[in-house]
Amino acid sequence: MKKLLLALAALTVLSTAVAQQARLRVFVGGQQRPDVMRKIFDLYQSRNPGVRVDIETGGATSDQQQQYLTTVLASRDPSIDVILVDVIRPAQYQASRWADTLDKYLPGVTRENLLKQYLPAYARADVVNGQLVALPSFADAQFLYYRKDLLEKYNLKPPTTWDEAIKQAQTILAGEKNPNLNGIGFMGNISEGTVCSFLLPIWAAGGDVTDANNRLTLTEAQAKDSLQFWLDLMDKYKVSPNNMAEKAQDTIRQEMQQGRWVFATLFAYAWNRFQNDADSQVKGKIGVVPLPKFEGGRSASCLGGWQWTISDFSKNKAQAYKLTRFLSSPEVSKILAIDASNLPVFPSLYKDPDVLKANPWFADALPIVQNARARPVHPRYTEIADVMRKGLNAVLARTKTPDAAAKEIVDGLRAIYR
Amino acid sequence: MARPQPRYRRSFGDLSERALAFWLLVPAALLLGFIALYPVLRLFYTSLFALQLTVSPDSSFNGLTNYSQALHDPRFWNAVKNTLLIVLVTVPGALVVGLGLAMLANLPFRIKWPVRLGLLLPWALPLVFVGLIFRWFFDSQYGVVNDVLVRFGGERLLWVTNPDLAFWAICLTLIWKTSSFVALILLAGLQTIPRELYEAAKVDGASKWQEFWQITIPLLTPSILVAMIFRTIAAFQTFDVPYAMTGGGPGNATETLAMYVRVQSIENLNFGYGSALAVLMFLISMAVTLVYLRYIRGVED
Repeated sequence: MKKLLLALAALTVLSTAVAQQARLRVFVGGQQRPDVMRKIFDLYQSRNPGVRVDIETGGATSDQQQQYLTTVLASRDPSIDVILVDVIRPAQYQASRWADTLDKYLPGVTRENLLKQYLPAYARADVVNGQLVALPSFADAQFLYYRKDLLEKYNLKPPTTWDEAIKQAQTILAGEKNPNLNGIGFMGNISEGTVCSFLLPIWAAGGDVTDANNRLTLTEAQAKDSLQFWLDLMDKYKVSPNNMAEKAQDTIRQEMQQGRWVFATLFAYAWNRFQNDADSQVKGKIGVVPLPKFEGGRSASCLGGWQWTISDFSKNKAQAYKLTRFLSSPEVSKILAIDASNLPVFPSLYKDPDVLKANPWFADALPIVQNARARPVHPRYTEIADVMRKGLNAVLARTKTPDAAAKEIVDGLRAIYR
Repeated sequence: MARPQPRYRRSFGDLSERALAFWLLVPAALLLGFIALYPVLRLFYTSLFALQLTVSPDSSFNGLTNYSQALHDPRFWNAVKNTLLIVLVTVPGALVVGLGLAMLANLPFRIKWPVRLGLLLPWALPLVFVGLIFRWFFDSQYGVVNDVLVRFGGERLLWVTNPDLAFWAICLTLIWKTSSFVALILLAGLQTIPRELYEAAKVDGASKWQEFWQITIPLLTPSILVAMIFRTIAAFQTFDVPYAMTGGGPGNATETLAMYVRVQSIENLNFGYGSALAVLMFLISMAVTLVYLRYIRGVED
C-alpha cells in the first residue's frame, strides 16, 4: 500500500513537471531534412530546459505540404506552433491571417537591424503589407548544372548566354552519339516548379511580371518569347527530348545523376545528391554556374528558400517567437549549411571556412543568390502559378501554340491583378 | 438467476412499439445527419458566400453569384465535358470487361481461388496507387506500354502528355481498376441463376450464344443495374487516377470536375466558389441517380 502511494505521489510530481514544460510543435516538410532539424531542436531544448520541441513531418513537395497545412490552418487548429513555409507563401499567410505578425515582439529599429543581416531578397519576401510575417531559414536558387568532363573533352567553357549553351549542347550531342544523352534539362511538367521555367527566359531578356509597385507589366510578346524559347529547345535546336511536358525537377535530377544530361536548370539541393548519392554516376563531374542570359539581357535565377512563420492559432506564441528567432539565427543557418547543404541566408556565411569545407561551391553561389529574382509576390500566388505552369505545360505538350498560350496567360494574370 | 428483470420491463415496458422504433432509430438518424446531411447543407450555405482566404478571411453574402460565375467559366465546362466522357467510356467499358471476368470466374474450375484472387486484387488496391502505377506503365521513356510497342516495331507514344492519348490511358486504367468491382457483383448474380435453365436450353438445342442472350442477360439485369448505378456515381467523382497520372494535364486537358473543385477550394482557398462547383457536381450526380432509380422502378413494375 505504501509503495502504491509513493508511486502515485511520484506520478503526480512527474505529471505536473510535464505540465509546466512548454511544448512547441514545429512543422517541417519531408524534403527539408527533418533529421538535421531534429538535431537543431535538441540543441535548443538543451539550452532551454522546460521547453520541449516536437517535430511534425509533412509531404515531400511544397504543394503537398501546403495541402495539409491548409486543412490545419483553415480549421484554426492550434496544434502546430511554428511552420517552415516556402518563399512563395508569406503573402497568402498574411492575407488569410494565418501568420502571427512578428512586429509586436520587435520595436521598429530592431526590426530594421534584424532584417539588414539577411540577404535582401528574403527581408523583402517576409515583409508583407508592412508587416513582418516570417523570418528566413535557408536560401535557395536555380543554377545551371553542367557536365564538367564533357565540356572539357570538347574544349568548351561554361556558357554565359543561352545561345552558347544551345550550341555547346549540339556539339556535344553530335560528338558523343549517345542516344541516352540529352542536352538541356528544365522543368516542364504541370507542377509548381514549372513557373520558374516560364519566368527564366523573361528575366534573362531583361523583363519581369510586375513593376516595383506590383503592377502587372508582362506583355503577350514577352510571354510568347519565353514559351517559344523552351519549345524551340525541343523542336528547332533538338537539344531537349520531345517529352519535356512530362519532366518534373526531380526526374531531371535523377536522369542527370545517371549521366543523361549535359546541362540542367535545377535548385541547389541537386548538388549534394550528385556528389554524395551512392548511385550517382557523375560524382566530381558536375560544375555549377549562374543561369545563362540572352544577348543584352541579364543573368537571373529563380529565388527559392524557406521561412519560419508562427501560426496565428498557436497558444504558445511568446515561446514560439523565441524559438523562431533561434531558428533564424546565424548559428542555425551555419548548421543547416554544413549538415544539410542548405544555402545560408546570411551573406557572411558564404565565406565561412567551415561552411566552405563542406560545400566548396558556395564560394561562387553568393552572387547568384543575390541576383535571384522572386516569383510574383501576391496573396493569390497559387492562381498566378496555375496560369503560368498550365500555359507552358500545354505548349510543351503541343496542345497550344505559344501565341494562344501567351494570350491566355496574360489574360489570366490580368484577371488576378485587375 | 431465476428472477426475471423487472427494472428492464419497467423502463421500456410502457413504450408503444412505435415509440420504441423511434428511439431505436434516433442514433442512426443522428449519425446520418451529422455525416451526410449537415455537410451537404453547410456546403450549399457556403456556396452562397464570397469566401476566398487569399483575399480575406472574412466572408460576405453574394447570393447566386458563384453559380453564375461557374456557368460562365470555360474551365468548369471543360471539366464537365471530361467527366462526362470518362463516365461514358469507363462505365460501359467496365461493364463489358467485368461481365467477361465474372463469366470466367463462374466456370467450373477445379481450383477456384486463383481466379477469384485475380478478380479481387484490382478492387482491393487504393485508387491513387493504381494511378501512380499506371503513370509509370504509360511513361513515354521508361514505361512498359511503350516498351511493348517498340518491340513490336511501333513508335514511342507520349501517353500522358498527348491530350487524346492521356484520356485513353486514364480510361484504360479506370476500366482495369473498376471492372473487378463490377465482376464481383455480376458473379454473385450469375450464381443465383438456376443451372436447370441452361440444361433445359441444351435439351432444346439452343446455342451458347442464345443461352447467353436469352437466359444469362435477362436474369442478370438487376445485378447489372446495381453495378451500373454504383459505377456511374463513382465515375462522376473520378479524381485519384487522373490526379496521379496527369495532374489534369497537359494544360487542363484531362481535368475532371472533382479535380477542379479541389483546385478552387484547396489550392486557391476559394471556398465560396469551390463549394458552388461542388454543389453543381452534387446536382449532376443526383440527376443521374434519379434517372436510374426511375428506370429500376420501371423494370420492377
